[in-house]
Amino acid sequence: MNDAHPYAAAVEGLLRDTAPYLSCDECFDRIDQYVEARAADPDHHDLRMEVHLAGCGACAEEAATLLELLAEPS
Amino acid sequence: MMIMNPGITSEVQHAVSSDEEWIADLHRPGAVGVAAQRRLHELLLRAARHQVARLRHQLPGIGAGELDDLAQEAANDALMSVLAKLDTFEGRSRFTTWVYKFGVLHAGVTVRRQAWRHREVHLPDTFTIVAQGATPAADAEAGELARELEKAIANDLTPHQRRITLALLIEHVPIDVLADRLGTSRNALYKTLHDARQRLRAALIRSGHLDATTSRSTR
Repeated sequence: MNDAHPYAAAVEGLLRDTAPYLSCDECFDRIDQYVEARAADPDHHDLRMEVHLAGCGACAEEAATLLELLAEPS
Repeated sequence: MMIMNPGITSEVQHAVSSDEEWIADLHRPGAVGVAAQRRLHELLLRAARHQVARLRHQLPGIGAGELDDLAQEAANDALMSVLAKLDTFEGRSRFTTWVYKFGVLHAGVTVRRQAWRHREVHLPDTFTIVAQGATPAADAEAGELARELEKAIANDLTPHQRRITLALLIEHVPIDVLADRLGTSRNALYKTLHDARQRLRAALIRSGHLDATTSRSTR
């Protein structure tokens, strides 16, 4: 058995509702379009993308980096 | 020749034209094609360097030169991916944004693989949640939820779901590192995690410890 873990983070991660389901591949297919829409309008919403990004740390990291890249002068 | 679409703005027309030029140049043989591939690599390197810089805390002690080597490696891998998938670009985003996502993906994978190259991956079967509440009453409530959650992990998940879920969420093994070690894909592991979360939620809703109408938490 491993060590005990911070309560809130563990419970939140385990019980996160990740429906409606979106796979990581589908997220990758749509992420460029999604970040452009978010960059243009911070109020833009895409439920399936938002749910996936909240439940998948790697995809969320990629979305955050892409948003930073779009905000930089090219 | 650029075909103008009267239904879209001149700014977008310019972007469409630029994207078409990118694709056309990358398909051209000879010096034009080579120059386009060089520009493509520069874009990918920009994205890869940005992601490596963001994730450098995962690689303590590594120097600037080694970090740039990782970015170069990721950009090279990403270039192969982009060229292989060039014909799948549909213009739903700007071409440069579409390219960036390959650089960012490969850089993240490269950094995480490097960070975990000497680390063992544990696939735990059980774990203990230490409940914390702000008051004695909240502490007791949290303790009860923790016990129910531990019970659901033990009884409602398959052994595979349990090990994957605990490795990803409790041991914090990166999903692509775990996929590499288990010879599977990020997609397959995320589906396993999604199914496990649904089972845990259903178990706690049945036992009255989770509200079925609890709104999902998004960032």
